[in-house]
Amino acid sequence: MNGKVLVITSGKGGVGKTTTTANLGTALAMLDKKVVLVDTDIGLRNLDVVMGLENRIVFDIVDVVNDGCRLKQALIKDKRFDSLCLLPAAQTKDKTAVTPHQMRNLTNELRQEFDYILVDCPAGIEQGFKNAIAGADSAIVVATPEVSSVRDADRIVGLLEAAGLRDAQLIINRIRPKMVKKGDMMDIEDIIDILAIELLGVVPEDESIVISTNRGEPVVMGNGSLAGEAYRRIARRVTGEKITMYTLEDNDNIMTRFIRMLKLAR
Amino acid sequence: MPVDVAASRADHQLVIDLRAYDNLEEMKQQLEQSLNLIGDFGHKDEVCIDIGMMRLTEKQLRELEDIVKLYGLSLKQLMYSQKNKPSEVPHRVPLDSHQFLQGGDTVMMNRNLRSGQKFFTRGNIVVLGDVNPGAEVIAGGSILVMGALRGVAHAGALGDEEALIAAFRLNPTQLRIAEHITRAPDGETVEVGSPEMARIRAGRVVIEKMKI
Repeated sequence: MNGKVLVITSGKGGVGKTTTTANLGTALAMLDKKVVLVDTDIGLRNLDVVMGLENRIVFDIVDVVNDGCRLKQALIKDKRFDSLCLLPAAQTKDKTAVTPHQMRNLTNELRQEFDYILVDCPAGIEQGFKNAIAGADSAIVVATPEVSSVRDADRIVGLLEAAGLRDAQLIINRIRPKMVKKGDMMDIEDIIDILAIELLGVVPEDESIVISTNRGEPVVMGNGSLAGEAYRRIARRVTGEKITMYTLEDNDNIMTRFIRMLKLAR
Repeated sequence: MPVDVAASRADHQLVIDLRAYDNLEEMKQQLEQSLNLIGDFGHKDEVCIDIGMMRLTEKQLRELEDIVKLYGLSLKQLMYSQKNKPSEVPHRVPLDSHQFLQGGDTVMMNRNLRSGQKFFTRGNIVVLGDVNPGAEVIAGGSILVMGALRGVAHAGALGDEEALIAAFRLNPTQLRIAEHITRAPDGETVEVGSPEMARIRAGRVVIEKMKI
């Protein structure tokens, strides 16, 4: 098997890298793909908590790269999907415990077993970022519709390009359609205009994210949430399916949706 | 050629006038001659070179610098005055003059400059893309952005007041030309859909629409 390594990154903290990793990974697993989530935020690990797998951790990524255990021993199988695994970060070490070279070897090993290797990148542009992107084939940049987030995302895209990752894709997270309509929030076009990278999807602000994160159950599992639906669509796009892009469907009625579909079809 | 190529200005700078030449070999010869002449003039250790309408590439400039260094001096400043006598009022060369941008000293960049990225050239630069907020583009000559200029641009960074900054969408964080700095007024965002150009007029940076 020759899996694809995707790094999920943003530069700025708190924009939803970990949430995106958890949900995109789960959604891909729901499409019967073999997926492993790799948490590279050593010292501040979160992905295990969001996935609800914290209590299963015995070994972590630092143990694996330092030959403290075998890779198979550190991989935690998800409680819902057999085809989904998590490689947790260490909490007691820091980012220097792993080198980019070791990350490259690790991702190459994971490639043999999985279809998709999703690497959850820490905030910042230092060692942790360099580790996370070391073995990646392509990158997904998460940004929220705020000037500071877009600025950081732009910096990240520049650094990714410098590292040879030229086809970064963008997820715009936590957009509030009502605010955008009133002109109080940056809209999708403004963001694309600056970042000039391909849009992979738009995830609306959704309270159910908070609930599901706290419960340790990715929001894509349940039906009826807008964010969950958005992540499921993104996952299908990642697998290469052509899915139309809905942008602001918060308050749309059937008629306006229909009109938009006609426009998109043209 | 007149011998008074080396002239001392009012501000006691030693200026070597190479305005009469339009190729590097002649300029180098004349520079050496001038430096020979002022050899024991020796209470200055810095010289300025006035190259008039010429625009040098980084390599060419370094060649001149090397000559100056051979004489134990250092190059302080490069000047670009017009081809008339310093005492006369300098006249402005029309923009469509073929002399304005000379070929060979212009760098083309075929990508976007993103936040945190910085580009410097001693000649002109043409960016085929955007210059985003947080990015800086600095040129000894002029800057042309075939896209949106949203970051910081510094034209004429070596002192050339004739340098200009043009962009398809001129929406910069800050504009600098030679020693002049401007920014957009606070709280005002004007969206102009057409190409604009910034240059110095009467000692101030002025932005005007570009007629194409």
